[in-house]
Amino acid sequence: MLDRELAGQVLRAARARGGSFAELFVEERYSLSIRLDDGKIEELTSGLDRGAGVRVGHGTSFGYAFSNRLDRDALLEAASAAAAAVVSGAAGQVIDLRAQEPPVVHRAERPIEAVPPAQKVAWLREVDDVARAFSPHVRQVSASYGDSTQRVVIATSDGRWVEESRPRVRLGVQVVAGRDGNIQTGFHGPAGLAGLEFFQGHPPRTTAEVAAKRAVTMLDAGPAPAGEMPVVLAPGMGGVLFHEACGHPLEADIVDKEASVYRGRIGEVLASSLVTGVDDATVRNAWGSFSFDDEGAPAERTVLFRDGELQGLMYDRLRAEKDGVASTGNGRRQSYAHPPIPRMTNSYILNGPSKADDVLASTEHGVYVTALGGGQTNPASGDFVFGVSEGYLIEGGKVTSPVRGANLTGRAIEVMSAVDAVADDFDTWEGVCGKDGQGVPVGSGSPSLRIARITVGGTGG
Amino acid sequence: MGRVADLGELAGAAVEAARDGEAVEAYAEEARRTEVTAYKGEVEGLTFAESRGVGVRLIAADRLGYAYAADPSIDEVGAAVARARENAELATEDEFNVLPPAMPIEPIPALFRQDQAAIATERKVSVALDLEHLAVSADPRVAKVDQAGYGDAVSRVAIASTTGVTAEYGRTDCWAVVSALAEQDGETQSGWSFRVARELGELDWGSVAEEAVERSARLLGAIKPASGRVPVVLDPFAGSSFLGILAGALSAESVQKQRSLFAGLLGEEVGSPLMTLVDDGRTLDGPAAAPFDDEGVPTGRTELIAHGRLMAFLHNAYTARRGGTDSTGNARRGGYRTPPGVGTTNFFVQPGATPVSDILLRAQGGVLIQDVSGVHSGANPISGEFSVGATGLRIEGGELGEPLREMTVASTVPEMLKGIAAVGDDLRFFTAVGVPTVLIGEMTVAGV
Repeated sequence: MLDRELAGQVLRAARARGGSFAELFVEERYSLSIRLDDGKIEELTSGLDRGAGVRVGHGTSFGYAFSNRLDRDALLEAASAAAAAVVSGAAGQVIDLRAQEPPVVHRAERPIEAVPPAQKVAWLREVDDVARAFSPHVRQVSASYGDSTQRVVIATSDGRWVEESRPRVRLGVQVVAGRDGNIQTGFHGPAGLAGLEFFQGHPPRTTAEVAAKRAVTMLDAGPAPAGEMPVVLAPGMGGVLFHEACGHPLEADIVDKEASVYRGRIGEVLASSLVTGVDDATVRNAWGSFSFDDEGAPAERTVLFRDGELQGLMYDRLRAEKDGVASTGNGRRQSYAHPPIPRMTNSYILNGPSKADDVLASTEHGVYVTALGGGQTNPASGDFVFGVSEGYLIEGGKVTSPVRGANLTGRAIEVMSAVDAVADDFDTWEGVCGKDGQGVPVGSGSPSLRIARITVGGTGG
Repeated sequence: MGRVADLGELAGAAVEAARDGEAVEAYAEEARRTEVTAYKGEVEGLTFAESRGVGVRLIAADRLGYAYAADPSIDEVGAAVARARENAELATEDEFNVLPPAMPIEPIPALFRQDQAAIATERKVSVALDLEHLAVSADPRVAKVDQAGYGDAVSRVAIASTTGVTAEYGRTDCWAVVSALAEQDGETQSGWSFRVARELGELDWGSVAEEAVERSARLLGAIKPASGRVPVVLDPFAGSSFLGILAGALSAESVQKQRSLFAGLLGEEVGSPLMTLVDDGRTLDGPAAAPFDDEGVPTGRTELIAHGRLMAFLHNAYTARRGGTDSTGNARRGGYRTPPGVGTTNFFVQPGATPVSDILLRAQGGVLIQDVSGVHSGANPISGEFSVGATGLRIEGGELGEPLREMTVASTVPEMLKGIAAVGDDLRFFTAVGVPTVLIGEMTVAGV
């Protein structure tokens, strides 16, 4: 996309007024998305995105300029615009650019472009057929297939030269079921940083069945109970909660702004001793993984909690320089059009000693959550809320009738400290996380786990 | 380097690449944006952006294909047309696929302010610094912000099609946002505010700072309420979150796909007689005003719910053809990367006559909700059921009292609309959604 010599010139122009570093991020992204709705292949969209962003750092401040144009003039113009944000005087140094060795490579065994769009259309048709055949109550199916190949080149004034190609694939299915005026929806959407071999491990047919089962099951749901009670989270769901309630307040920019409940508390026990949580960009072919982050730092596995004790934060370059530590490889951006900020990659709670069956059997009364609709957290107070999109009552140690309209609210430290059982049946959940107007692919993961007491909001008694 | 083609030329190039029997439309846009954030008296970030792109929609034999390219050359526009053509071949035939015909468009010159387009970066930086300074000096309990920023954009859109559409307009927008952090006795609460205007001279950033401070500070000392059914007052911030659920349900696309809780209810009572809900793509009161929608159809005013009765749905050219009606000028897209769907423009609850002070008096023993979270995940847009997290204040004797946190509010959209007992006179737009303060007779509030 560009040669090293031009990259060097751009970096020197960006450091014309000094600053602590300069960085050039160039991206080209080819994408295909196909949408099936109402039994029809409604839309196929092919996309070509490209652009470059130049950043100049100055303490914790930065100047950033980007353009769609990749020609020399446009890049140098962006460099001087970014430099203008830095007020100091003398020009800064640019070290010779040297290619970096990736710590992990995420191979696509079956390249995206090797399979014609017609095959991808056929997968969606299969999804539609399977979901509709699942139950006579299935009213509507919509599904989307998406793949993209993002090629990035990153060059920094301290001599990093990184090239990476990131293939991503995703199939999402939403099913609407209806009966007697009652309408419910179910969603499932596995995704990976991989080629099309991903769909051997995650067959479209299975995705359709999971989504259909969710929607149809919820037709029988009664109102969720309200009040404090034990909640068992199915595999993957604890990871979603961990991402929102613990992960965001452990992003270094939020801590730096003193907007985190975890600020200044590294080394304290702030979760149950059963909880060991990591953020890991090195998990092979996982949705939130990469070889290098969007600042050119190598992918890492960062331990956030070990046996309940808070271990560390997730850093990008600006915040790491401020705190005098190394970046943990969490500097990510949605695209060239966004400056990088600290973001999670794959945030996981690791397996514990229990068996999932025993966890449920030892729960007298509570709610079993098999799908969360996503959530929000206030990192300053630790308050969070999650919608439960598929949940059941637990009565006498057994999962019984489905419930709807439930949500979970609580505070990060209290809730993570209330985890009293962690099983060994780890699974993942993939999503797109939004922060500061930027969406990036993130993975979450956990085994089954139980929170001894948490507030369930519902309309029932 | 060569001369850069203007938007009209790029869009025109796509139309010229059409073959016999094909309908082709190109949507081209370009924007220059600046964003400045301030923190602890210094510039935290300064971002300059320049972007342009073209999206091509092609219909052949009733099949639709789409392709886009960032900053394309004329040749690359031709390549995008070719990719859209390949994509169309794989899509399902749909007799309602259509490009709208060319219609007369009344320009709205007030959308573009020459002065705004010429503002120097230094001035923008000083606004961001002032915004942060105002936020941290208004109340001793608010010593810092989570975010304080100013941003603006100068943008142009051009649409051309084989049905004869050639439309173009420019606009300027600017905005200020503050998320303030209030602290006391080891507790932290956040509150935010946001305003948008067409030029800096009309942007009241002082009130953004003031509001964010007030909304964070008044939550200090918040407790969990007991569960119960109580009168609920939604302030405009909270109300605007709920309006998002309604927007989807009022789209003809959702209705035609049996994905709306309003399907089959046209002409029926769906809400309190106090409620009138409007979409108006031309009113300058709202930031989403534009002379035409995202496929070149003139914008207009649509009363969706009038005094509680469901009167209309929002249409683009496709849903209008499918429903045997006219487009309401509500084709919307998220930029050149996506083909148009159906969406709202300026979408608001018509203000009522009741002053907010009267609403508070009537809500004795109730709760004012100032913020809801989890609407996107805690609400089912199809069934209308929701259960969301909320923060707010108790209402006693017409006054705002004790702050409340970790509440959940659960109901259904139909129940909530029918339960509206008063509509305030304080309509306020948040981005393109506007709501006055609203009193709901009773809702379940859970805290424990």
